Amino acid sequence: MTHAPLSQRLADAAGRVYVGAVYAFLLLPIAIIVLMSLNAGEFLTFPPQGLSLRWFGALFANEAFMRAIGTSLALAAMATAGATVIGVAGALYVVRHATRAREALRLLLMLPLMLPEILTAIALLFFLYATGIGTRTMFGLVIGHVLVTLPYVFTNVASALYNQDPSLEQAARSLGAPPWRAFARVTLPLIKPGIITGMLFAFVISFDLFNMSLLLKGIGMTTLPLQLFDYLRWDFDPTAAAVSTVSILLTLVVVVWVDRAVGLRTLRFG
Amino acid sequence: MDHSVMSVADTLPLPRASRRAAGRSAFWLIAPALVLIGVFLVLPYMNIVLMSLRPPAVGAPYGGGFTVANYAHALGDSYLLGVLADTLLLGFIVTPICLILGYPVAYQLARTRSRWGGLLYVLVLSPLLVGVVVRSFGWLILLSGNGVVNRLLLDLGWIHTGLQLMNNRVGVTIALVHVFLPFMILPLVGVIQSIDPSVESAARSLGASRLRTFLRVVLPLSWPGIQAGTVLVFVLTLSAYVTPVMLGGAQVKTMSVLVVQNLIDNFQWPAGAAQALVLTACGMAVVALYARLTRRLSKGLA
Repeated sequence: MTHAPLSQRLADAAGRVYVGAVYAFLLLPIAIIVLMSLNAGEFLTFPPQGLSLRWFGALFANEAFMRAIGTSLALAAMATAGATVIGVAGALYVVRHATRAREALRLLLMLPLMLPEILTAIALLFFLYATGIGTRTMFGLVIGHVLVTLPYVFTNVASALYNQDPSLEQAARSLGAPPWRAFARVTLPLIKPGIITGMLFAFVISFDLFNMSLLLKGIGMTTLPLQLFDYLRWDFDPTAAAVSTVSILLTLVVVVWVDRAVGLRTLRFG
Repeated sequence: MDHSVMSVADTLPLPRASRRAAGRSAFWLIAPALVLIGVFLVLPYMNIVLMSLRPPAVGAPYGGGFTVANYAHALGDSYLLGVLADTLLLGFIVTPICLILGYPVAYQLARTRSRWGGLLYVLVLSPLLVGVVVRSFGWLILLSGNGVVNRLLLDLGWIHTGLQLMNNRVGVTIALVHVFLPFMILPLVGVIQSIDPSVESAARSLGASRLRTFLRVVLPLSWPGIQAGTVLVFVLTLSAYVTPVMLGGAQVKTMSVLVVQNLIDNFQWPAGAAQALVLTACGMAVVALYARLTRRLSKGLA
């Protein structure tokens, strides 16, 4: 490369500053929450008055938040389990068996991601009431979470299946392995990274889901995002920052895990 | 792909008929997904239409019989029409800002060969994985009257009285841009990555300036990504609920806020259903108009 003219180097530098500023904008609110959760002072004021973990102590002593975290973890686990079973089976069918209807089926399984979450939640609320299922049990809530997380499992598993040679399983079959065995010993290990990515995604998405939970939760029930939302209506102290930091850490763990398992570039978002 | 294995399988092909039979017996694989989406997504969406035609009732979310009064109200009430216009306006403001902020980031991310590329990708992706309540809360800390931004500007002496940065459209816009920016960047990265860099070098070597190369070659070729990102951000903005409530306070009413109020607080399900459908129809009309107006751009690519 020869030396570029000054004007071009200036334009490059300006571009880098602009892009850097956008990255800073993306990270700013997340970084400020983590910073504020370590605040030793009474309020969410800036600059923080010294560093301390006291607000994490306050969080662990806060029964409402701890119960909400428990509910969110349980709900995310149930939603992930449901979405994984349905999504993996669906991906296997769409990639391996579907013929003419393949594209239509793919679109159908991606549908929950394309529709606004709040509209889906409204639709489910009406439907649960009209069918008498209601919101007294967690059934409707779990169904809503499975719907929203299903496309993440499906798309990640389907792309893992596309990248993998179906004749491997056929070879196992022709050598005498029964279908389930050929699947469990040949295909499953090969698409495992896709399944793990889809599951982790489903878990985080469900853990953070707000609209669906707002409309479909039973009376007296609350998830972490709902509890945080309610808390912030009346209180504005670093306990809220501490619980947000816990949620951010969960995301971070998942991101690092996915990156280790498969590399983030392989993620499918739609 | 492993060719040696492939040739083994090729010598032992399953007969066509038995493959079709296998396809039929494999149907149970897709059955749970079909039941889930058919029963708990398609039917409920059709049921919204039914609900929007129900009369209101006292002591129950809706009454028996059918009426079009909810639509007449949703389309005839000046307050509701104002909220609808405000909601669409918010979409028209947030979407172009996301494009202007997101495009250069997407371009740089698609073209970078730096070893930090993976980390930058994580930086774009991770805000998406942090819940929307948490991110809006971050903006509360930054933008409130006594918040970080006002504190810094006051301490620097750039302003003398605090700025009103939230409980108005400014705060909602800033936070919505932040929440939806990754949805603009990610589709753009995919499309820009698929543009062969040699097309750019060809234009450059034929004497086009960098700006001209960008405007006449790269930008038109990235159109599918621009279209996907703008439509996504626009639709998401129209249906946003948490961020307008948290940063708009009582001052900024959007259609989604109103609908949820009607469903949860006022127990007026038919009215809420009609309003939600009016908003959906308006959103779809804007997207269809947009697709029509930009048809020549999309065609030029094909």
